[in-house]
Amino acid sequence: MAVLNITYGGLSADYPLDVDYPLTDRDVRRIAVEVVRSGGVRGLPVASLGERAFDDYVVDRFDTVHGGRRIYLRPKVPFG
Amino acid sequence: MKRVVFCGVGALGSNAVVACRNLEARLVLVDFDRVESKNCLSQAFVKPSIGKNKADALKLQLSSFWGVKAESFGVRVDEGNVATLCGSADLVVDAFDNAKSRRVLSAWAKSAGKPLVHAAVSADGTFGLVRWDGRFAADEEPSAGAATCEGGEHLPLIALVASTLARAVQDYVERGARRDSMVALSGVTTTSE
Repeated sequence: MAVLNITYGGLSADYPLDVDYPLTDRDVRRIAVEVVRSGGVRGLPVASLGERAFDDYVVDRFDTVHGGRRIYLRPKVPFG
Repeated sequence: MKRVVFCGVGALGSNAVVACRNLEARLVLVDFDRVESKNCLSQAFVKPSIGKNKADALKLQLSSFWGVKAESFGVRVDEGNVATLCGSADLVVDAFDNAKSRRVLSAWAKSAGKPLVHAAVSADGTFGLVRWDGRFAADEEPSAGAATCEGGEHLPLIALVASTLARAVQDYVERGARRDSMVALSGVTTTSE
């Protein structure tokens, strides 16, 4: 089981991902658009999300200490 | 006393340094850039600092306002001087505003075995990260003409990311903790212990 965290428009929310195959970055972005649009991500209500809203976003993957996986879909952070 | 080297004292770096002023550590400030009037909108600089080197100006402000002694180096960090500037550090802080300089620091820190924490913010001022090296990959700057975080309207988010960075520095200096955080307008979330 993986958890997908999506940050969009200054809001951030988790979505449980029950998939049994490896996800590419493109898969992650596509799934994120679908689940956000459908209202399935509690705390991230963006019904009018564009098809390419996450095209420039970064996908980070980390294993947790409990053996799970967290995937972060986030805006680029180039500045300091 | 531990030595903390801040590489880049722009928006995140300058505000984080100010929030670290009570830390039992020697603060070392590195930045080649000069203070411009627009920097006073979102960085910790005051108007009399305009025109001065950022590292020197922040050192002077720390001394004048709070009596805190710091060191400053008004140079650009590159492969040729990074070991000299950061070699004696107990902790290196990356608050640069470009991917190239971040990668120079990362590569050196890995080879030297130095602890390095990064802070970065998005161009639209809605999101930021504090991550320890090894879990951080530098993002490239957007193309010319794209949004930047220079405007004063992003100061609240910048201050939140800078405070989160300062807390990460404090936790490391006092307890050796290395905690990652994600900062959005909705708040700060710890993403690793």
